[in-house]
Amino acid sequence: MEATITKNFTLEEPIDKVWASLSNPMEISSCVPGATITEKIDDNNYKGEVTLKFGPVKAKYDGVITIDEMDDASHKMTLKGKGLDSKGKGNAEMTMNGLAKEEEGNTNVDFQMVVNIQGTLAQFGSRLINDVSAKLMDQFVDNFNALLKGDEFNNDLKAGSMVGTAVKGIFKKKEA
Amino acid sequence: MGHSMKRKEDARFVHGKGKYTDDVQLPGMLYMDIVRSPYAYAKIKSIDASEALAIPGVLAVVTGKDLEQYNLHWMPTLMSDTQMVLPTDTVMYQAQEVAAIIATEKYIARDAREKVRVDYEVMKAVVDPYKALDEDAPVLRTDKEGKTDNHIWHWEVGQKEETEKIFNEAEVVVKEQMHIPRIHVASIETCGCVADYNKVENHLTMYMTTQAPHAIRTVIALVAGHVGITEEKVRVISPDIGGGFGGKVPVYPGYVIAIAASFLIGKPVKWIEDRSENLQADSFARDYHITAEMAGTKDGKILATRMKVLADHGYTDAAANPSKFPTGMFSIGTGSYDYPNAFMEADAVYTNKPPGGVAYRCSFRVTEAVHAIERITDRFALEIEKDPAQLRFDNFIKKDQFPYPSPTGWEYDSGDYEAGLKLAMKAVEYDKLREEQAEKRKKGELMGIGLSTFTEIVGAGPSKDFDILGIKMFDSAEIRVHPTGKAIARFGTKSQGQGHETTYAQIIAEELGIPAMDIQVEEGDTDTAPYGLGTYASRSTPTAGAAAAVAARKLRDKARKIAAYLLEVSEDDLEWEPGKFFVKGAPEKSKTIQEIVFASYTNHPQGMEAGFEATHYYDPPNLTFPSGAYICVVDIDKETFEIKVRRFVAIDDAGHIINPMVAQGQVHGGLTQGLAPAMYEELIYDDDGNILNGTFMDYLVPTAVESPNWETGHTVTPSPHHPIGAKGIGESPTVGAPPAIANAIVDALKPYGVTHMDIPITPYKIFKKLKDMGVLDKDIAEG
Repeated sequence: MEATITKNFTLEEPIDKVWASLSNPMEISSCVPGATITEKIDDNNYKGEVTLKFGPVKAKYDGVITIDEMDDASHKMTLKGKGLDSKGKGNAEMTMNGLAKEEEGNTNVDFQMVVNIQGTLAQFGSRLINDVSAKLMDQFVDNFNALLKGDEFNNDLKAGSMVGTAVKGIFKKKEA
Repeated sequence: MGHSMKRKEDARFVHGKGKYTDDVQLPGMLYMDIVRSPYAYAKIKSIDASEALAIPGVLAVVTGKDLEQYNLHWMPTLMSDTQMVLPTDTVMYQAQEVAAIIATEKYIARDAREKVRVDYEVMKAVVDPYKALDEDAPVLRTDKEGKTDNHIWHWEVGQKEETEKIFNEAEVVVKEQMHIPRIHVASIETCGCVADYNKVENHLTMYMTTQAPHAIRTVIALVAGHVGITEEKVRVISPDIGGGFGGKVPVYPGYVIAIAASFLIGKPVKWIEDRSENLQADSFARDYHITAEMAGTKDGKILATRMKVLADHGYTDAAANPSKFPTGMFSIGTGSYDYPNAFMEADAVYTNKPPGGVAYRCSFRVTEAVHAIERITDRFALEIEKDPAQLRFDNFIKKDQFPYPSPTGWEYDSGDYEAGLKLAMKAVEYDKLREEQAEKRKKGELMGIGLSTFTEIVGAGPSKDFDILGIKMFDSAEIRVHPTGKAIARFGTKSQGQGHETTYAQIIAEELGIPAMDIQVEEGDTDTAPYGLGTYASRSTPTAGAAAAVAARKLRDKARKIAAYLLEVSEDDLEWEPGKFFVKGAPEKSKTIQEIVFASYTNHPQGMEAGFEATHYYDPPNLTFPSGAYICVVDIDKETFEIKVRRFVAIDDAGHIINPMVAQGQVHGGLTQGLAPAMYEELIYDDDGNILNGTFMDYLVPTAVESPNWETGHTVTPSPHHPIGAKGIGESPTVGAPPAIANAIVDALKPYGVTHMDIPITPYKIFKKLKDMGVLDKDIAEG
């Protein structure tokens, strides 16, 4: 099961400040809901874990994140993640491309994330993955904003409400 | 016979006293759970069970490598293919069994599942059966020596050249590509067993959910004979079954692992699947991709049909098909129509999906065939703008043409198709409906009328064509009448809700004159029942029901001899009326069957064998050919495309009916199971072979809420070769309903130019179809 999630957002911060945090794996990972970096292998490789929850199914992935590209000049980055469900229920792969651009003193960030999930989570979550992922992405942006502003935040997975929000989202679309 | 006697078995069911496999509790019993593959296609690099084994209460984790030591890691399928019991190196479909946990408690075993670490190397799965035949497709069955592709078999029947010639010259040719979706029987009771091996006696008692206990006993002996479990040491008990529908015919790996575990540990081992395991791993049904074509004249005479099938068998050919034909009875697909030429061919392929191909309430591919012929017949009617009912009348095989030799080699025993369709049209008020439809079309409203006038083929089967691993498809009955005139009758079949305890008793009552209430019917224990091939494919009445009638007639012959002796007259002077023999012309001189039976134990004639018992093994001379005329009326909402089945009239012809109430119950259930694939059910896989609806949350089984008010009736055309003229009813409605519903929906969508839709037809599918055709916003009002 493959899903592509794109997100474009603008931050009221100068690009240098945004890029400094964005390109720092420890900082950026602290903003990803449910994610933790557990070990730095080298400058480009990190061990970590991600917890995801789709309705009745919760999966914890142990994996490795690799920085494929981190171009400070063009503000372009490519991250690759590969994880294995800790209970043997499947695996997940993720490729994330990010591009930051200056926009009248602010910073526009463009994210494209391709996620491929196999196993039990793919069975249960196929119809929810886009909505849940979009929600995760929103939460990430909020967290990242708070990080830049120096506000407090936490990256706990707000899973309980996530499916509810996703379901509400589906019905909203039908009404429209 | 012919009476709606209340079902004898229902007393225990309504009192909650049914005894199912999961109710079996034995001292010292252990519990088994199964680790399953999350991937559709992967190499197993390693299995680490150490964490699982550390849990208190976990006794063993069995893997394919363990079973390999005893050569029990694989088993033969009914189609002479091979199937893994547990894999030694590769998994071939999602949810495949990978390892089994044996524990002292059910929930300990379940907890331990998550602690078995399996390291997989995931490979790209082959999911699309057409792509499976591509030259660069990976060869899945590398275990088969010399296998260079994913092709399993090719089969063909009929008049290839003549048919081609007719198609080349015909005035009208219609063609549609159809998929009969992969579905699941989804019986309320899942599969399971308790394997109880007694080391001291070297004896295995197997309680299990099986529709064919004797066949299972023989299979166990064939598979495990080399480790000392020979057939006289095996007793298979099939207790009450909560729905079979074909899904409890195959031997699943879980049964074999449970036997192996009990054999190795020496204690009883219970294994019961949960719902998801049942849906995801047990045998599927259908999954035929069919290209159907019909050639005919402009005025509506059918000249020939041609069908080409691609059969997706999943990872192995484990079809529950006891015939010598790889597509079973698909060749019934020339239908109820009279034309001399047809050609059918089929190819089967391996894919990374679960194996199966069970005859879900269907004699081996009849549902697929009937759908194709009934759909393409309507397509033909649409093409030449003829009423589909009239087209059928113009092409029906006539009543006096029976026995009718079909172009694909069957001999239809009897039928009166015109009578059935006339009755159905009268019941539904067909002409009025067509008028109403014309009015609605003027206003742009969507209303459709669909017909299905099918011929079924059941009662497998004659020994020349049908066997399971060489064992012919006869069935049996044994009747023992006790001195007090009460009886026990045992059969080689096995009811899963069909009501055998009542209907078999009624057959014997009819033939022998003993009240049905005095006859105890027993099935499902191989130690006591005579050998038989089980219950599926509407075969019980045609085979075991016939055996009961013949065995009862043997007893009646004996009764006549005893009565003659008791009344001191010649046998020829006696006349029979149900329940007694009397002297011709002197009806007061008579002996009741109870008196005769008592005499057979207390005062039997010298030289005659004492007692009152008979057994018969019935090998049917031909199959039986039930038929039906179904009419469905649908209304479709123009905005949401919600489909409402307004009416559904089902006229069945199953020959003589033993118990009308039981038959009607079968029809109601069968129609609902026909509604299921027409509008709701399909097992869906993504490109990686992940099943996307492996729970009842997503796999939509219709309930009473979705079911319309079924209007049923019947015509009676007895089978000329069956002892009581019965034909079998169980599967007709499931076979005949889907095309009637699909035809009605396609008819409703006629104003948009729709000529075909694959089942299950959902509102979303209609929306998408109209959108893809670019007609979503078309103004269809004619007025």
